Amino acid sequence: MPRSLRGVLCLLFACTATFGLAACGGDDDDSAGTTTGGGTAASDAGGKAGGTIRTAYTSFPDYLDPALSYTQEGWQSLWTVYTPLLTYRHEEGAEGATVVPGLAEDMPEITNAGKTYTFQLRDNVKYSDGTAVKASDFEHSIKRVLNLESGGSSFYLGIEGAEKYVKDGKARADITGIEANDQTGEITINLLKPDGRFPYILTMVFASLVPGDTPFQNMTKDPPPGVGPYKFENVRVNRGYDLVKMPDFNVPDQQVGKADKIEVEIIKNRRRQTQDTIQNKIDYMNDPPAPDQLRDVRAQYTDKRYKEFVTNSTYYYFLNHDVAPFNNEKARQAVNFAVDKRSLARLFGGLLEPGCNFLPPGMQGYEKIDPCPWGDPTAAPDVEKARALVKEAGVDGQSVTVYGNDEPESKSLAEYLSDVLNDIGFKAKPRIVEASVYFTTIGNQKTKAQAGFANWFQDFPHPGNFFFLVDERSIQETNNQNFGNVKDPEAQAIFAEADQNADIEAVADDYARADKLIVEGAHVVPYGHRKLTVFYSDKVDFENCTVWHPVYNLDFTNLCLK
Amino acid sequence: MSIADSSVQPDLSPVLSDGGQAEAAPAPGVSAWQLARRRLKRNKPALLFGALFFLLVALALAAPLWAQIADTTPAKNHLSDTIVVNGKSEQVVTFDGVPIAPTFQKKFFLGADSNGRDVAVRLLYGARNSLFIGITAAIITVLLAVMLGTLAGYFRGWTDAIISRSLDVMWAFPVLLLGVALGVSLALGGLQIGPLQISGGSKWIPTLIIGFVGVVYLARPIRGQVLSLREKEFVEAARAQGAGPIRIMFGELLPNLASTILVFFPLLVANSILLEAALSFLGAGVQPPEPSWGTMLSDGVELLSTAPHLTIVPGLMLVLTVLALNVFGDGVRDALDPRAKVRLEH
Repeated sequence: MPRSLRGVLCLLFACTATFGLAACGGDDDDSAGTTTGGGTAASDAGGKAGGTIRTAYTSFPDYLDPALSYTQEGWQSLWTVYTPLLTYRHEEGAEGATVVPGLAEDMPEITNAGKTYTFQLRDNVKYSDGTAVKASDFEHSIKRVLNLESGGSSFYLGIEGAEKYVKDGKARADITGIEANDQTGEITINLLKPDGRFPYILTMVFASLVPGDTPFQNMTKDPPPGVGPYKFENVRVNRGYDLVKMPDFNVPDQQVGKADKIEVEIIKNRRRQTQDTIQNKIDYMNDPPAPDQLRDVRAQYTDKRYKEFVTNSTYYYFLNHDVAPFNNEKARQAVNFAVDKRSLARLFGGLLEPGCNFLPPGMQGYEKIDPCPWGDPTAAPDVEKARALVKEAGVDGQSVTVYGNDEPESKSLAEYLSDVLNDIGFKAKPRIVEASVYFTTIGNQKTKAQAGFANWFQDFPHPGNFFFLVDERSIQETNNQNFGNVKDPEAQAIFAEADQNADIEAVADDYARADKLIVEGAHVVPYGHRKLTVFYSDKVDFENCTVWHPVYNLDFTNLCLK
Repeated sequence: MSIADSSVQPDLSPVLSDGGQAEAAPAPGVSAWQLARRRLKRNKPALLFGALFFLLVALALAAPLWAQIADTTPAKNHLSDTIVVNGKSEQVVTFDGVPIAPTFQKKFFLGADSNGRDVAVRLLYGARNSLFIGITAAIITVLLAVMLGTLAGYFRGWTDAIISRSLDVMWAFPVLLLGVALGVSLALGGLQIGPLQISGGSKWIPTLIIGFVGVVYLARPIRGQVLSLREKEFVEAARAQGAGPIRIMFGELLPNLASTILVFFPLLVANSILLEAALSFLGAGVQPPEPSWGTMLSDGVELLSTAPHLTIVPGLMLVLTVLALNVFGDGVRDALDPRAKVRLEH
C-alpha cells in the first residue's frame, strides 16, 4: 500500500519476494461461515438516504482505473465503483476485514493442494452501462493489471502463465493459469505455488472486474464501467469527479450507497479545506486538518464532527543488519531503548498511536507486547541504559547516516533519530532524499543505508502483508523492501509455515509469536501506528454514517446527511 | 537579473552635496580611494546599515556562546521536555505538536520549532551558515567572473565567443531552477572534482552552486569594462614596453576593476544569501540538521498560525541582512561613483 498519505506509489515489487513462496493448506470449509449465497444487498438502517455530499481531497487520486490505482485516495472511491470476485463487508473492525464473496457466488473451492481456486460468477450481474458481466472479464481485468505494468502486477505473477504473459508483452495473449467459461460462469485460477494470502489478493481493487473490451490503457479520464454502489461521472483530471449512486446495485452483503451523489473536489490547501469544512462549504475532508488547525478542530469538534482512527499501519526505523554498527545486536537494542515514542507522537501532531509491536492493533495476530522489552511506549526512554549498551558493544563514536525523505514528517523523524544516536554515543547525521526516489534509494543494497525512516500501510488485512518487510525472503539487491536485511531464523521458520495456512485465525498465535521475536530481537524500531481522521461539516450525520473500514478507511457508501 | 549600467569606476569629479551645491574639487594629493572613503563617511544610512550587518556577523560568531547559555545545541531535540516559564511548567512541544512560543528567557528565548529545538540557537547558527555561504559564494563568483570576464574582454575573438556564449546559455536558465536542479542532484551523491571530494550533506555544495550561478551577473560587466580598458593609453604603454598579456591583466587591468568588484560585492553577498535561503527552503540548499534561515522558514510553514515565530524570526533576519547589505552596497557605489546605477535586477 502507498507509504505516503499523499499517495506515493508503492514499488512495483512490493510483495514479489513473498508472493508465491507461501503455501496454502486451507480448504473451502474454512470460509464457510462468511459466505452468503443469495441474500440481497445490505442497507444500513441508520442515517438518511439521498442528497449530495461534497468532499475534498488534497490531491487527485493517482488513477481512476482499478488496474492502476495504488493509493488510499484512489481505492477509497474505486471500491465503491468496482467489485472484485472477493471483497469485504462495509463494516468496521474484524467484520470489515473478513473476506466475503463479491461478484463470486460463493467463496472459492480450493483444490490441487491449494494451487487451484474455482469460482462461480453470480448470475445476472450487470455493469453500470447495462452490459452483462462475463467470466472472461476477470481474465481481461488481470491482463490489464499485468500489461499496464501496474504497481499491483507483482501480486498476480504467482498465477500460472502470468510471467510468460508479461514477458511476451502481447496484450490479447492468454494467461494459461486462468480459465473462464462464459456459458457456465465458472472461473478457475491455477497458481504456481500455494499461497494462503491469495484470497486477500483477489479482494484488491486491482482484481475488480471490468468489461472485456476495456482498452489496455490508463482509463482515468473515462473510467470503465464497474459493478458497484456508485459509478464515476464528470471526471475532471486533477480537479475532481462525482460518484453517482447506482440504484439497481444488488450484490448480496454489499452496502448500497446512502447519498445520491458524492462530489470529490481537489483543494490543494488543507487550511482552506479545514476552513471550508468548518463553514459547511464542504462536507468531508479526507486528509487530517492542517497541523496548525488541528488543535482547534480537536477542541471544538471531537465526537461531534471530528474523530481519529488508528489505521493498520506501522511506522518504524530500519536498522541495517549487514552494515556496522547495527550488525551488532547490542547497538540495535540501544536504539530501541533510546527512542522516545512519546516524542515521536508529537512529531505527528498526536496523529500516531505509540506502540511496541510491529503488527498494528487491527491486524490478525496482534497481541500487545506487554511489558515492552524496551520500556513503556508512553513513558520516558532509558537513555542511560542505551549509552551503556553502545559502550558495551564497542560501537561508540561510529558514524551513522540516518535516511529520511523530504516530506515533513519523514524529515523530522530522521533528524530526531540522528539526535538520539548522537546522544547515546554515535556520530550521526541525517541524509534527506527526495521522496519519489527514497524507497528505491534505501532499497538498493549499494546505498548501504544504515538506518532510517520506513512505514507501511496494509494492502490487505493479513499479517504476511507486514512481515514481508522483515522476511529474509524479501531481501534483494534492488527494490529491497526488507531495508534492514533482517534475518531472524526463528521468526523465519514461523513465516514459512504460517504463510501456508489460509486460515488466519488458526495461525494468529504464530504470527503473534513472530511479532514478539521481531521486537525482542531489536531488528527494527517500531514506534507506532498512524491515525487518520474524519472531519465533517455540520450537515453530515456523524453518529450514524461514520464507518471506518479496516482496509479502505472511511466508507463512502455509508456516508450520509442528517 | 540585468545590469543597468556597468561603467563603474572611481570618479574624481565633483559631486553634489545634500544642498545641491557642487563640492569643491579634491585637494591635490587626495586619492580616489580617500575621496570615496570621505563620501562613504558622509552617507549615514549606509554606515548605519553597514554597522547592522557587522552586528549580525558578530551575533553569528557568538552562536556557540548563546548555545552554552541556553544549554542546548542547534540540533538537539527537546520534544518531550518541559520548562518553567513565569513560574508555570510548560511543554516544549505539546502533545498535538505545537511548539512553545518565545519565552524571552535563556532557554527557548525565541521559542522552539516542531522538533523541540531552540529557535534562537538555530537562528544564530543559521546566521553562520547563511553568512558563510553568502560571503564565500560571492568570493567564488568574483574570482570566476573576474577570470572569465578579463579573459573574454582582453583576448576577444574565439575566447570571447566561447566564454560569452557559455554565459548566455547560463543566463537562459532561471537561476533558482538551475540551483535547485544542481542542489538536488548533488545532495545525495556529493561532488567530485579530481581529488576534491565533497559529501552530499556539506554546505560547500550550495556554496559552490550559488557561487557558480552568480558568475553571469558579474562576468559580463567585467568583460565590458576590460574591453574598454584594453584600449586605454596606459595599456598601450604597457604593451609598448613589452608587457605580456598576464602582466597586463594582473598589473594594469585588475587594479582598475577593483571598484567595480567592490560595488558588486555586497550586492552579490545579499543575492547569495537570498538564493541560499530559497534553495534551502526548497530542500536543495543547506542539509539537515544544519540550520539556515531558509530551512527554518521551510520548517515553520506548516505551523504558520499556531507558531508564527517559526517563520517571522528567520524571515526578519533575512530581510534585515539583505536590506543592510543593499543599503551599504548602495553607499559604497555612491562613494565610488555617484553617477553609476548598478543594480542586481531580477
